[in-house]
Amino acid sequence: MSFIEVRNIKKSFGQLEVLKDISFDVQKNDVLAIIGASGSGKSTMLRSLIQLEQVDGGSIVVDGDYLVKDGVYANAVDSKRINSKMGMVFQQFNLFPHLTVRQNLELAPKLVKKEKTKESSDRSMELLEKVGLASKANEMPSRLSGGQKQRVAIARALMMDPDILLFDEPTSALDPQLTKEVLQVMKDLAEEHMTMIVVTHEMEFASNVADHVIFMDGGMIVESGTPDEVIKSPKELRTKLFLNYDQSK
Amino acid sequence: MSYEYFMSMLIPMLEGAKATILLFGIAIVVSIPLGFLLTLAVRSSIKPISYLAQTYIYVMRGTPLLLQLLFFVFGLPLLPVIGEFLVFDRFFAATLAFILNYAAYFAEIFRGGLISIDKGQYEASQVLGLSKWQTTVRVVLPQMFRVTLPSIANESVALVKDTALLYAVAVPELLHYAQTVVNRDFTIIPFFLAAAIYLLIAFGLTMVFKMLERKLQYD
Repeated sequence: MSFIEVRNIKKSFGQLEVLKDISFDVQKNDVLAIIGASGSGKSTMLRSLIQLEQVDGGSIVVDGDYLVKDGVYANAVDSKRINSKMGMVFQQFNLFPHLTVRQNLELAPKLVKKEKTKESSDRSMELLEKVGLASKANEMPSRLSGGQKQRVAIARALMMDPDILLFDEPTSALDPQLTKEVLQVMKDLAEEHMTMIVVTHEMEFASNVADHVIFMDGGMIVESGTPDEVIKSPKELRTKLFLNYDQSK
Repeated sequence: MSYEYFMSMLIPMLEGAKATILLFGIAIVVSIPLGFLLTLAVRSSIKPISYLAQTYIYVMRGTPLLLQLLFFVFGLPLLPVIGEFLVFDRFFAATLAFILNYAAYFAEIFRGGLISIDKGQYEASQVLGLSKWQTTVRVVLPQMFRVTLPSIANESVALVKDTALLYAVAVPELLHYAQTVVNRDFTIIPFFLAAAIYLLIAFGLTMVFKMLERKLQYD
């Protein structure tokens, strides 16, 4: 059984149809990369999975539970439980600026899971170690570089022990050098078989790390398959155009 | 001018300054949380609550504080039927007027502060599983407070000076005692003394807020 099943989801902002009948699956321990031009609906699609956007129709199943069934959402308690299986990393990091790095990590476990102070502080140090930022534990986010902020954001998402991590263009706000350090952390996670969906413009990352690639255009999935199929030898004209355009940049 | 004479002016004025500071203290401590509740009411998705709060703010900001003060101290007891239950101590009635007036201003300040908070903060809180209440208290409030601190400081200094309006409803405070001596002894010195005391209070406040700003600095 797939960890996430998306069936025929639709979404409009007013007159504009941003998602037209999207269906796909994500297997446990897989990395799915979603590529496509700006405005293709890929971010909206990702945000729909964790209820930052509401879909107008279709179904989303997470770990066997319906988050949405034929356009009808699960009740508040169930959808909260389903959401708690997912973590999210944003383009703009969205760290809490008034809290130290460490407090950023520990806030949610303490409030939501009622974790003991000792427990969450052990875990936060362990995760900061993992993303290479243990020395920044007591810094304010404003003192960090963009790449460091994003690594903190990844660690913060991991604090809640999600079964899957959603990345919404995690490196789009970063320069190439900082992009590298963030992608490295994501690569490490992939090697530990973390299930991930990554909306990205990093073709190299999609080629080398992802197990599956989806190319979206105009609110639809145009092509999907392995990185070799979609990125190395695309069949659809729109995919070819997008990739050529992208490489020529 | 003898020392004794000077002290005979100063001591009642300091007595009056006590009333000034007491009014200021009560008004600031009550009107800030009340103002925040008002902001939440304005932003409420329940329309009648939002409209009621907006109307309240409009009325409180759109009419002179002096009029409100006179209304609470002298007007309330004149209301038909319920008036006789609304005869309060003058200081109490005046304090009430200040609280209700300043809450409206603070509500507008906080509304501005809330607008300045990035929607990514709410989204990050949501995906981490924080409840609306937890998000408000642990994420939004601290940032809003930091952003609005300079405006709060500004309003606070204005409040100190507005306490002089108590003069109009015959509650003895700093200015009242100064004016009494001016009339009695035909000297201008008490006005300077009063100004000095107001300045001293404002200076203290400014220092406190500067310190708070430094303490809450995070960027």
